[in-house]
Amino acid sequence: MPMRRVFIAGASLLKVDEYWGDTIDSMVTEVVDGLGETRPWRIDSIYVANAVGEVLQGQANLGALVAENLGLAGVPSLRVEAGGASGAAALLTGYQAILSGLANTVLVVGVEKLSDATPEEAVMMPTLSERYDYVGFQGATEASIAAMMYRIYLEKFELPQEMVAQFPVIMHEHASKSPHAQYQFKTTLENVLSSPVVSPPLRRLETTSPADGAAAVLLCSSDTLSKLPHERAVELVGAASSTDFIFPFEREDPLRLTAAARAFNEALAKSGLSKEDIKILEIHDSYSIIASLILESIGYSAPGSSGVDAKNGAYDHGGKVVVNTFGGLKARGHPLGATGVYQAAEIFLQLTEKAGPCQVDGAKVGGMISLSGLGSSAYTLVMREV
Amino acid sequence: MHSIFRPPINWRHRRFRYRLVVWRCLNCGAVHHNATKICRRCRSNRLAEDQLPSRARLLTYTVVKNPPVAFERQAPYIVGVVEFEDGTRLLTGITDCEPEELKPGMELERVVRRLTEDGESGLIVYGYRFRPVLKKR
Repeated sequence: MPMRRVFIAGASLLKVDEYWGDTIDSMVTEVVDGLGETRPWRIDSIYVANAVGEVLQGQANLGALVAENLGLAGVPSLRVEAGGASGAAALLTGYQAILSGLANTVLVVGVEKLSDATPEEAVMMPTLSERYDYVGFQGATEASIAAMMYRIYLEKFELPQEMVAQFPVIMHEHASKSPHAQYQFKTTLENVLSSPVVSPPLRRLETTSPADGAAAVLLCSSDTLSKLPHERAVELVGAASSTDFIFPFEREDPLRLTAAARAFNEALAKSGLSKEDIKILEIHDSYSIIASLILESIGYSAPGSSGVDAKNGAYDHGGKVVVNTFGGLKARGHPLGATGVYQAAEIFLQLTEKAGPCQVDGAKVGGMISLSGLGSSAYTLVMREV
Repeated sequence: MHSIFRPPINWRHRRFRYRLVVWRCLNCGAVHHNATKICRRCRSNRLAEDQLPSRARLLTYTVVKNPPVAFERQAPYIVGVVEFEDGTRLLTGITDCEPEELKPGMELERVVRRLTEDGESGLIVYGYRFRPVLKKR
């Protein structure tokens, strides 16, 4: 029996923003309506990605809730939670469902509303992905742990902070042309390095801020693709996931994101493609230092040299791979559980030449890496134009 | 109610939080903060209670300026990672000093401190913290 193939027939996303008047329900219906003519007509399964709905909105059971909202009560539907990687986890689950032969059409919807949080709750939400009865009760935050990784990184490689702090500048540059980005303005290295300190050496402009967002992707098998109204599709040629110790300082090397490396290498191996084929890469830059550590852990830069490579343009238009073409977590925004679905939708836009001013010319293969916590789980998806 | 203020949670963690009683793997030495039947490093099922030493060396640290729920009134405060003689690493709040006094490699000692409280009449949360070892004159 030939290997089944998995395609993305359509994608939709809302501008990452603060939607005070909207609910999870209204955001989901709006983003799925945005699928247009590929709007689901016959769905075998729905996967809803969301990280903290029961904490901030007091709402669990999002599978049934979303199915009902979409007029699809009756369709199997469940919520997938893997912290900040929930969206990518839902995509991987949908991919596996189609590969298994048990489903032909899968709707993946990511939704998150962080604007309901107080400032202290907004700090707590990402920290829920750490061990809360250990790290949380000491008052440590995810940002503070990232800051300590940042500190030992700068010390180990004897680098000035600007080597890492330039990543937000690149992200804002990309987001300045992105209509769905949360922050559509450019910034400078001076601005980043003079923004308020969150946890030294980490500065405000090296982190993300609370955001609401929803994105949807329609996955299907070859059979369904031929029957589904759509313009252009993208093939999902590889996907993989891995996990690691949750607290980075209990890993063999706190500066190596082993889960990201394993997920990336395995997804790439499944795709039959090589790293050089990937021309656009959406990475999980939840903190500037995490952008550096991802690029070094998956082998695009040698340890300690992602900053030099970035300075030389390796990760910008014209470089070896364009990273975060719509601004990434830093500037497109990071609506926690929805973020992975945004990454996939953005690669879909790139490979179908619908990326507008953010278009990377000649992009035929795109990859994404999504993390929960500070690399305790990692997901990679590789997509190719068809 | 925030999980940090739930009395049963504080009660069940009391020996770790007040005295750093841990579960150590008898095969590979890995330390676990909660009771466990399986070692998270080597999967051995031979584990026994142990207590971490009261002194450790500072690996690195930072300051929390944007606090989470339940720590609103404490910020800014220091958190760090300490390393015990056997290589075990532990995240901890650091107290009784200013950030400028800290140097990686310096010796710290365990103390118990009031960490936070649930308003005027709610639970008071205590737990371990580390501080620089006081020098004898």
